[in-house]
Amino acid sequence: MRFATLVFLACCLLFDSPAIAQDRQTVIRDTSARVVKIFGAGGIQKLHSYCSGFLVSKQGHVVTVWSHVLDTDSLSIVLDDGRRFEAKVLGAEPQLDLAVLKVDPGIDGLELNLPCFDLKQAIDVTVGTRVMGFSNMFKVAVGDEPVSVLHGVIAARTRLSARRGAFNFPYQGPVYVVDAITNNPGAGGGVLITRSGRLIGMIGKEVRNKHSNTWINYAVPVTEIREPIEQIISGNYETQRRETDEETPGNYKPVDLGLVMVPDVIFRTPAFVDSIIADSLADKAGLMPEDLVLFVNDKLVQSVKMLATEVGALEKGDTVTMIVRRGEELVTIQMKVDIEQRN
Amino acid sequence: MYHIAHQNIVCQLASLFAVVTLLTSILCADQPDLGALEEKAFKEAAAFADPSVVRIQTVGGLDRVGRVLTGTGPTTGVVVSADGYIISSSFNFASRPTSILVQLSDGRQLPAKIVASDKAKMLTLIKIDEKDMTPATAARKDDIKVGQWALAMGRTYDNEIPSVSVGIVSALNRVYGKALQTDAKVSPVNYGGPLVDIRGHAMGVLVPLSTRGSGETAGVEWYDSGIGFAIPMEEVYASLDRLKRGVDLKSGRIGIDLKGRGLLAGEAEINRVRENSPAKAAGLEKGDVIIEADGKKIGRQAELRHALGNKYAGDSLTLVVRRGKEELTKKLILVADLEAYESAFLGILPRRIDLQEAADLQGVGVRYVFTKSAAAEAGLQTRDRIIKFQNEQIEDESQLLDLVGRTRPGEEISIEFLRGDEKKTAKIKLTSIPNQVPADLRTWPIPVPVPSSEDNEDATDGGAEESEKIATGRLQREMAAHEHSYWAYIPEGYNPNHLYGLMVWLHPGGDTMEATIYREWKSICNQRGIIILAPKAENLNGWNLNEADFINAAVGEIQEEYSIDPTRIFLHTFSDGGRMAFHLAFRDRDVYRGVAAVTSPVRVRPEENEADHRLQFHFVVGDQDANLEAVNQSVEGLRQMKYPANLSTVQGGEYRYPPAEQVQEIGRWADALDRI
Repeated sequence: MRFATLVFLACCLLFDSPAIAQDRQTVIRDTSARVVKIFGAGGIQKLHSYCSGFLVSKQGHVVTVWSHVLDTDSLSIVLDDGRRFEAKVLGAEPQLDLAVLKVDPGIDGLELNLPCFDLKQAIDVTVGTRVMGFSNMFKVAVGDEPVSVLHGVIAARTRLSARRGAFNFPYQGPVYVVDAITNNPGAGGGVLITRSGRLIGMIGKEVRNKHSNTWINYAVPVTEIREPIEQIISGNYETQRRETDEETPGNYKPVDLGLVMVPDVIFRTPAFVDSIIADSLADKAGLMPEDLVLFVNDKLVQSVKMLATEVGALEKGDTVTMIVRRGEELVTIQMKVDIEQRN
Repeated sequence: MYHIAHQNIVCQLASLFAVVTLLTSILCADQPDLGALEEKAFKEAAAFADPSVVRIQTVGGLDRVGRVLTGTGPTTGVVVSADGYIISSSFNFASRPTSILVQLSDGRQLPAKIVASDKAKMLTLIKIDEKDMTPATAARKDDIKVGQWALAMGRTYDNEIPSVSVGIVSALNRVYGKALQTDAKVSPVNYGGPLVDIRGHAMGVLVPLSTRGSGETAGVEWYDSGIGFAIPMEEVYASLDRLKRGVDLKSGRIGIDLKGRGLLAGEAEINRVRENSPAKAAGLEKGDVIIEADGKKIGRQAELRHALGNKYAGDSLTLVVRRGKEELTKKLILVADLEAYESAFLGILPRRIDLQEAADLQGVGVRYVFTKSAAAEAGLQTRDRIIKFQNEQIEDESQLLDLVGRTRPGEEISIEFLRGDEKKTAKIKLTSIPNQVPADLRTWPIPVPVPSSEDNEDATDGGAEESEKIATGRLQREMAAHEHSYWAYIPEGYNPNHLYGLMVWLHPGGDTMEATIYREWKSICNQRGIIILAPKAENLNGWNLNEADFINAAVGEIQEEYSIDPTRIFLHTFSDGGRMAFHLAFRDRDVYRGVAAVTSPVRVRPEENEADHRLQFHFVVGDQDANLEAVNQSVEGLRQMKYPANLSTVQGGEYRYPPAEQVQEIGRWADALDRI
């Protein structure tokens, strides 16, 4: 029985492998034709003057990452067959790290009929999915050479911004983390596709995790940016108002709730309660000296400073949930903030 | 209790392929391809291992360990028993957190405490109060093959779905038999997580490891490089009961030095048995050759190191040694710490000579005899040539240094030397290496090179071209591959037929001090034959640990171009440049032979003194300097570890680069780095 299964599996496995291999070549060839090399500003102080992009319309709309490279009047785009076009920035959304360019056909009204991706075909994938990355990393491809291809798997889908302070990163949405070293100089704006050629994501910039001091390889899901791209192309996109960064409103201080914390002496003083003011909110809620505050409303609090930030953001009438460590136990405490704000 | 899977996937796959090749030509169907099936298998393997992979959060603690910033983000652990024991990489606790929390895959948070650490394999066991957890299923170590799929899993990005990086097993028994190697991406993102096979069985626990260092952060520089390590899961389970008792495990040591250097050396002949060591207690002797360890044949020294890689202090080890024609079996109980190694000192500086002449000369010429040394007692004089040490013929100074280095201070030895044509012998008692710099050490001038006249017809032109090729004086260079630059000073009249010392100047944060160093050192360099290499930190504010590779590459570039004496490569630094200097000195011990540190205490954990890699130290500090106390402690600490460490105190000196007198002294110290 087991052997039969094996034989069946084996047949499935390799039967059409020549055909698949054929397909893979087609996928790579088709994708290469849709990924372009972009040359623009830079070239000084270690700023590279090139990046990658991908075509999303026959008329030559190119999607890429927003970067200093685009900050020039003379942008040029080179296709895998060596054709070179001048291009202009049609629209950009720095919040999404996104820009859309439009190539200049040279002659008015000329039908370019360029190879392109259909944004509607873009899909979402799960961890472990095999992917290929296409980009002109390190400007290896010149002239009529196609861009470089890497392979790997989706390592994770996550929000980089969730690891607060670790990344200097405007984009708030989810990203795919890839286990191939995709994010190199010039790779931004390249594409991530499935083995069968479905568009998944746009390769991002080079980003370093400030906490672990490691570089991260990620791509923005095309399904997340499809709408703004279409709006920019159709000309009815309005740049989103930049939300202010998380600044501490400073509505409350821990002491307002009755929490006297240990002095903040080192870089990361753990949020230990030094003493509790009698009859305060904290006292009534059952907080005790030497409790270590770990979570405020599900946010991990790693220091006295972070506690102050979280408490500062509370508003009158909020119910705050704190999880504290008391000895070897975790204790959950809730209190309703019904006292006046400072400002 | 743990499970070991017995099915052998490799065999299965092999039979699969056999069948496939047979049938490919006959049948034809539209079915999913191998790649898609593999992708499915990756996802299933990750799903299988998922329940045993937990997320760990730490609160409080240091923000950096050495020069490595430790993450405040979450890390990963692997469940090893149903009652709440979790193993993780010690890297994740290097910042000594005040509180550890484990988040289970269902989202619950539980406080954890550290139970014990395995210091040899850089693992830490923690415990949470929880029942019915799913321990990882271990893959059989013997079934793991190079080339098979390996998935590195972490739980740092997202608590719902663990992250996966796919690669293969690149090698087995790496880092002295301790670890599996993989090309899956391994980094702080998944340290502490499992490396699983295609069935989701844990082959190992991901850790940063290095063949060069042993600290918690050693090996981190290899993150995401295609070189990752995992401690085999079977071995984790094997030592679990010991860790559960709350006792740290440390590498087990025998207490011997072997003859010859490096891992390519031949059979494991004992050259020295350390005092108060297990080897001494078992009655091992100098000259014994180890031929078997715990039943494994030992043909080369490397095999012995591999046999010891998995041994802990307290473990027993059975050695078979060959002594003359006899074979003896000895049983040892290994220990964690040995008495510090200390090199003996003969008391000479070897003569420096023309490299072309060197080959014809026998033994080691004497350039200088240290006062009150064993050599002085034996009546050795400048120009004598040492030709025998004990009963060994001396070929060159590296051999003599090796022999003296493997002798203990206080031991009596015999030497034979030539004075003119007369052969003399002496019996002398070797001393320790003195902790002071000879005040009367004269310079050793190097002759200006003579343009060779045989090369071609037009001798003068050829000579001129020749000397143009070798750049001398002050140089500025870019190292494109490292995006860094350095400056260097090559003494005027550089002669490629002579060996030069190399001073690697590591500037302090905020100032390259290029003008000062050039001004103070130029004439010393010319007189004593020293080349200056001064790498520049990318960020002038200070050195970053990752820049060590650039510094080494710059040293390599100079070594390639100029004749450098490997025994006289040293690091010179001022103030906070010391962090990098000591980091390099203790990490790249095959390169650096000394550190001359001005107002800079040792701020990294020093590695032990070794016979194979001599390191010497020289400290300068002002007696009014705030760093005085810390520098004194460093000197004291290094001396306790039996390193030669000089201390030069500047009267009335404050926090600044020292006056000429002390700089001259550093020059003499550097000129005597090749002392034997």
